[in-house]
Amino acid sequence: MKSICLVNGSLRGKQASSLEFLNDIARKLPDAEYRKTIITVTGKVKDRYPEDILNSINVADAIIFIFPLHNYGLPGALMRLLEDYSKHLRTGKEYFKQTKVYVIVNCAFPRPADTCGEAIRVIQNFCRRLSLNWRFAICIGTGPVVVMTKKVPFLYPKLKHAYTEIALDIQSGDREKKGNYFIKPIIPERIISAIKHYYENKGQMIKKNKEP
Amino acid sequence: MNTLLISDKDAKTKLSEDLKAKIIRTLKENGHQVDVFELGKEDVTQCYGCFLCLTKHPGECFNKDIVNEIRKNINNYNATFYLTPVLFGHYSSTIASPMNKGAGSNNLQVVIGYGDDIDEEEKSTFIDLTAKHQGKADIVHPGLLNQADVFVSESFGDNAKICEALKKYMK
Repeated sequence: MKSICLVNGSLRGKQASSLEFLNDIARKLPDAEYRKTIITVTGKVKDRYPEDILNSINVADAIIFIFPLHNYGLPGALMRLLEDYSKHLRTGKEYFKQTKVYVIVNCAFPRPADTCGEAIRVIQNFCRRLSLNWRFAICIGTGPVVVMTKKVPFLYPKLKHAYTEIALDIQSGDREKKGNYFIKPIIPERIISAIKHYYENKGQMIKKNKEP
Repeated sequence: MNTLLISDKDAKTKLSEDLKAKIIRTLKENGHQVDVFELGKEDVTQCYGCFLCLTKHPGECFNKDIVNEIRKNINNYNATFYLTPVLFGHYSSTIASPMNKGAGSNNLQVVIGYGDDIDEEEKSTFIDLTAKHQGKADIVHPGLLNQADVFVSESFGDNAKICEALKKYMK
């Protein structure tokens, strides 16, 4: 029985779109065939993540990181888990070096191919440092909208195919590199842009092209 | 110019301490005020991505940590300098907290990564993360060319070069 570690990189609890995506991929991996461990990151960790959590990553045949994009990068809470795990290994802990690693990025923006690249590269760098087996990513544009509309039939065939690809890839011994999946939103960019500008103004966010 | 320097106190190295000292000295020599915040893992809570700081109570995080206090005063600063170790091409979790909570100056934010064991891909990832804010992801942040900059230091020599490059913002 393969052991799968699903890492929920969102701090938003039950409201998290990432949790929805985690549940979607978990359903593709039946309990009869996979031993699944779910790790949810926390906003403040005393000292470091508990040993049992870090050990559950050690023994996984596959790790699936599911997280929202923060500032084009990883959420700080997920970054903390990677830091602690890396330190945990430096103490000489044994771990399975060929663990397959997948990423599902919940990106609020409309062009996942333009915005998710660096977050993926960070996880690839993490894999290279620890000799883990990077596989591929699914990047979902306007994740919350996808969650709201995913039950509409025939709307996201590419996403469903990508989930299936993860499940098949975990089972196979395939080491050939695979491309990432980018799921574009169904809402026109202009509308998304208008919503963004409204909240940027309301939240006193940095304005473009202002002289320092 | 009032400036804010935020560093990671759990990731201090000889290189980072030299960098911090040189930046502070350069700012002061050019007549600028510097407020320094050394943040540690125990001091910060991470951004929940709840957007309440944009919607319900703009400018304020529901987590009342030190980062929230810094963010309340961001309008007092002309520039923010973040000093962070480069970890897998990313900034540290401690520095992610103020960055993701929008605790940097609205005028200029400079991210300076350091480390003596950074490979080329990690360096490039780190630089590209900030480049996204400079217009590489135009639908999201269309061209903050004058308001975001990034440097990576791998040596004491780099520290000196970075301070020299920062002088363009100090005129």
